Amino acid sequence: MIVIGVDVGGTFTDLVLADLHSGSITTHKVASTNANPAEAVITGIREICELSDVSPGDIGSVFHGTTVATNAMLENKGARTGLVTNSGFRDILHIGRHQREQHYSIMQDLPRQSRPMVRRRHRKTVDCRMDADGIELQPLDEDGVRTAARELGANGIESVVVGFLFSYVNPTHERRAAEIIREELPDIFVTTSAGVVPQFREYERFTTAAMSAFVGPKVRDYIDSLQRALTNLGVVSELRIMASNGGVATPALVRERPAVTLMSGLVAGVKGGAWVGAHADATKLITLDIGGTSADIGIVQDGQFAETDARSASIAGFPVLLPMIDIHTIGAGGGSIAHLDRGGAFRVGPQSAGADPGPAAYAKGGDKPTVTDANLVLGRLLVDDFLGGNMQLDLQAAKNAINGLAETLGRNMEETAEGILTVLNSNMANAIRSRTVQKGIDPRAFTLAGFGGAGPLHAAGVAAALGIERVLIPPHPGITSAMGLLTTDLQYDALRTAFEIKGNVDCNRMEGLFADMETELRTLFSKDGIGSDKIGLQRIGDLRYVGQGYELRVEFPDEPVTDETLKTVWQAFHDQHRKEYGHAFERSPIEIVTVKIRGLGDVEKLTRLPQHGTLKNAEPVGTGQCIFRVNDTLNTFETPYYRRTDLGAGQRHKGPAIILQKDSTTVVPPDWTFAADGYGNILLERVGSDVSVNGGEQP
Amino acid sequence: MNTRVDPFLAAVIHGALENVAIEMGHKLMRMSYSSIIRESEDFGTALTDATGRQLCECTMSTPLQSGPIPGYIEGILKELDLRGDEIRPGDVFMHNDPYAGASHGPDVGFAVPIFHGGQLAGFSVTTAHHLDIGALTPGSCGIVDAVDTYAEGLQFKAIRVYDGGKKVEPVWQILRSNIRIADLVVGDMEAQVAAARIGAERYSALLDQYGLQTVTDAYEDLLDYSERLMRDAISSIPDGSYNARTHIDGYLDSDDPSLKDLPIEATLTVKGSEIHVDMTGTAPQTTHKPINMPLVGTVDCAVWLTLRSILLDSETYGSIPQNSGLTRPITIYAPRGCLANPIFPAPVIARFCPGNALADTIMKAIAPAVPEQVSAGIGNLRVMAFSGVSGGSQWVHMEIMEGSYGGRFGKDGMDAVDTLYANTRNNPVEDIEAHLPLRVLNYELRENVAGIGTWRGGIGSIRGFELLEDGAVSIEGDGQKFKPWGFLGGEDGSPANVQLVRSGNVVEELPSKIPYRQLAKGDRLIAFGPCGGGYGEPKKRRSEDVLDDVLDGLLTEDGARAHYGVVITDGKVDQTQTQRLRSQTS
Repeated sequence: MIVIGVDVGGTFTDLVLADLHSGSITTHKVASTNANPAEAVITGIREICELSDVSPGDIGSVFHGTTVATNAMLENKGARTGLVTNSGFRDILHIGRHQREQHYSIMQDLPRQSRPMVRRRHRKTVDCRMDADGIELQPLDEDGVRTAARELGANGIESVVVGFLFSYVNPTHERRAAEIIREELPDIFVTTSAGVVPQFREYERFTTAAMSAFVGPKVRDYIDSLQRALTNLGVVSELRIMASNGGVATPALVRERPAVTLMSGLVAGVKGGAWVGAHADATKLITLDIGGTSADIGIVQDGQFAETDARSASIAGFPVLLPMIDIHTIGAGGGSIAHLDRGGAFRVGPQSAGADPGPAAYAKGGDKPTVTDANLVLGRLLVDDFLGGNMQLDLQAAKNAINGLAETLGRNMEETAEGILTVLNSNMANAIRSRTVQKGIDPRAFTLAGFGGAGPLHAAGVAAALGIERVLIPPHPGITSAMGLLTTDLQYDALRTAFEIKGNVDCNRMEGLFADMETELRTLFSKDGIGSDKIGLQRIGDLRYVGQGYELRVEFPDEPVTDETLKTVWQAFHDQHRKEYGHAFERSPIEIVTVKIRGLGDVEKLTRLPQHGTLKNAEPVGTGQCIFRVNDTLNTFETPYYRRTDLGAGQRHKGPAIILQKDSTTVVPPDWTFAADGYGNILLERVGSDVSVNGGEQP
Repeated sequence: MNTRVDPFLAAVIHGALENVAIEMGHKLMRMSYSSIIRESEDFGTALTDATGRQLCECTMSTPLQSGPIPGYIEGILKELDLRGDEIRPGDVFMHNDPYAGASHGPDVGFAVPIFHGGQLAGFSVTTAHHLDIGALTPGSCGIVDAVDTYAEGLQFKAIRVYDGGKKVEPVWQILRSNIRIADLVVGDMEAQVAAARIGAERYSALLDQYGLQTVTDAYEDLLDYSERLMRDAISSIPDGSYNARTHIDGYLDSDDPSLKDLPIEATLTVKGSEIHVDMTGTAPQTTHKPINMPLVGTVDCAVWLTLRSILLDSETYGSIPQNSGLTRPITIYAPRGCLANPIFPAPVIARFCPGNALADTIMKAIAPAVPEQVSAGIGNLRVMAFSGVSGGSQWVHMEIMEGSYGGRFGKDGMDAVDTLYANTRNNPVEDIEAHLPLRVLNYELRENVAGIGTWRGGIGSIRGFELLEDGAVSIEGDGQKFKPWGFLGGEDGSPANVQLVRSGNVVEELPSKIPYRQLAKGDRLIAFGPCGGGYGEPKKRRSEDVLDDVLDGLLTEDGARAHYGVVITDGKVDQTQTQRLRSQTS
């Protein structure tokens, strides 16, 4: 079977075509078409089919990562959205948690107030109320709903969200209200808060649901137009869309729950990194995807991705309650600008020169010193071998930019350039610590996978700052995301709020919740044509000590809920708490806040990387002067340049070295060694900081 | 520019320090039990040097908690010195003395000393607001009738709770038997110790990696850096004297005139890169009522925070490390025996609202010098403590009711939000009702009460609670008599008020402070939040903005015409009529 992965980025749309039988892989890149991203997708698919001599009709599946939903949020360009909510609670979306984003600011804006997804005039209230047990305190005013729907329709509303208090316990009112609204406004996108995520905390749930309504029509139109275009191209297979939870979803599901694609584009990178890592036997992996302006970090242990907790995920300043892979993004990349701030402190980023004008070395008018300029000045990038030689770099321009900053600092150019890299690497190391050390995970036991255009340049430096001794560079660092798409199963999540307390758990009710979710998921999978033997279900709970406000995730055993099976759950919770916070309160009662099932539907996907060439003795294609810091001093090294395609499996070389390839450049510092494996990955290993270094001399 | 360490290493060490404080906060917030810490985020974490100078703070913590941390350490060191006591590795100290660093008694600090090479190198500190501290009535807010600090609850002056690594059990037993809902409170205290220890461990590792001298030099640079930013910002203000006077309610229902309509006055003298703040003119202390503000821990934090938010607004400046360097160019004086510098044992537990009013007075004073960086008068906050006995066990729930900001240059004030020195989070309705015998009746914006101006003031909320069982309430608020000030032609905002609705719909208007008061099942409390002052002349408000408020139900068409001279017909601005009306009246 032939499968294609298409990942749409801001500048490029990346494609990978894989023949699952022969294992052969073709990669391709086309310019993104931001006005209608589908155009580049179609162009790319047509071209990659031609490149690999495949007819579109022979494509088995198209896997797709999209930023349509994300961009609608970031650019605040969604549908004209209305809300129907309880009387007395018109402004939950506006008041939020009554907290400012910034402690020390008078002039700040609160996104929920300065750019609301639903304006107050479109927030309608109706009488109805449930209590915390889901018992009706006040019946739904159906006429009120009808009137509200008509008013919203008259106001040109394109999308409606229904959000009632306690709908996560009893969604009857929300469902009935949605029904009435659909009767009144048959062409309009209608969604309910419990339908999107039946979890407590009304501001976060209503906001997540409003987000779904806000991006819904746009996502739906995009998917529809893409499907039509694919059909016109002769593609008969179904589209699979990357979801924030790390699985793929079908167009039908995405049309119904558009919010699942909020992190679609980002997630593919972590998936790709994880998949490559698995091939290199890296069971504990940190993925570091560095582009021009930002770096995305993900954590994978034994194939499991770290997920965000219900309290930490947000997009464009709005909270998101949906299950999402935890991807930590910081403003650090190749275009990050080094500067002194107003107080005279040295900083790298978050401002970026972007692609235009770009770093000074691009000679497109940029004159600010960037990370790319520092890499060039230190000899880590080659003037005539950047992006496979497609772009000539201007060394003098880079030197001028770095020198300007060096003079201000009273340092020489090399020290300044190296300082830029040290600070950038340190910023990324801190970001990784926030997702590891802060959660009781020791990063030193991990492998760091560096990809994206700039990941392989910095991976070893970041690893060294964290005490990590193993670095992995995938075969095609620049298109790891597109590759990740091809490795993904269908994944649907179901969840329910439980609020059950240890010692008093209603096991029958719990089992009922799980059974209900199982049915929900099996129905979804069967709609997608997934046989029951291809479905995997994992029961999960979010637990906390009674009174705490944050939950920790614990897996439930795959057997009926009884007091006996719960014992393992309680113990797992104590253990997890101790692991994350260094402390457990063994005598305190525990509350099961939410129960979930993660459903995986096995689909045909890429299972192996193509084997690489046999061992051959790679010879450098040249050498150059590169500057590295070793044992706290800067030294210049005569450094060999290798061509990546020349590296055979197994042969280990000593650093320093620079490895060139079309879509990235890998830096191997002096105290590291490297070797390619049978899949074409490069593995860097740290020798130790006290290594005797040959050929180094102080500049 | 002279720095002690190279700028690259400095950046690396600064990043590491901040990371440590954030980790401490993250863990404290997640481990703690009571909603005041985990939901409201009323806690602070920081690292200090051996003398108490603050190196970094957690970005999640609330300013009023992390700000006082240097004072806690100074207070602890002074107390130990008096006792001739010495700090040893493995010790943990508990401290809440409002006359020696703490902002008020319920904010209990735990300090873990850090040793490097046998030498005291610093402290890792957590502070947090506790639900109960053994005062005369349940809860730790709304204690508006404590007569002295002894009535405010337990007082800890540098109490050793771990001695050389060994838990001092008797102290913990005293805590357990003198604090209501001890499981929650003592659990939170244990979480504080655990988080402070993590900070100490991380800081030690940093010292091992870089050496004490390098780390010290790096943070000295960091202090200089913050100081330089503050001095630059102050230098841009014209030299001169800036004065403002505002009033707080105090005890509006009292017969004693010395307990109500109390002035807060601030005179800021700007000279070069320094500011001197003089609180002369502020009312005398209320000797037997707890609305006095400790000079160290409340007044200083309110002043620092306000000046920093205005002069180094993070919206413009990005995040600047909060440390002792920022406060070096600012000196503060308050006459002894006034509200802003009370004499022991004058009670202080309810200093929250006066302190924020003081912050607002500082902003009012400096406003004419930096009119594009301030808001008009803010709406103050209010704390309500509900309590009772349900199913045989005692419960206490604290709810911080938000205020709102005044209008700002170029934009309206922020609606229904914590103001100036407070920045907590509310509790979800669905969390409250799922765990407490309370029903939330409503939570939305008030209508037709915004402070009018070119940029109108932020709008307060209306929030109501019903007791589902017999219980009690205590209220600690202010700003019910005096309106948030308008600025540059903007009109004053609206004050707050609270109604108690008892059976038979009997409505009682409550004063801003209510000591413990028993309520019956079915009683309702409706809190109306204050609305910030308007900024600039109302007639200059863009007619589209007026229309938006009308369409959004925040202003009536009549209000649009009367206040703004904007005529709206059929959901549209009538330009001709508006022009006529506006030219007539201006």
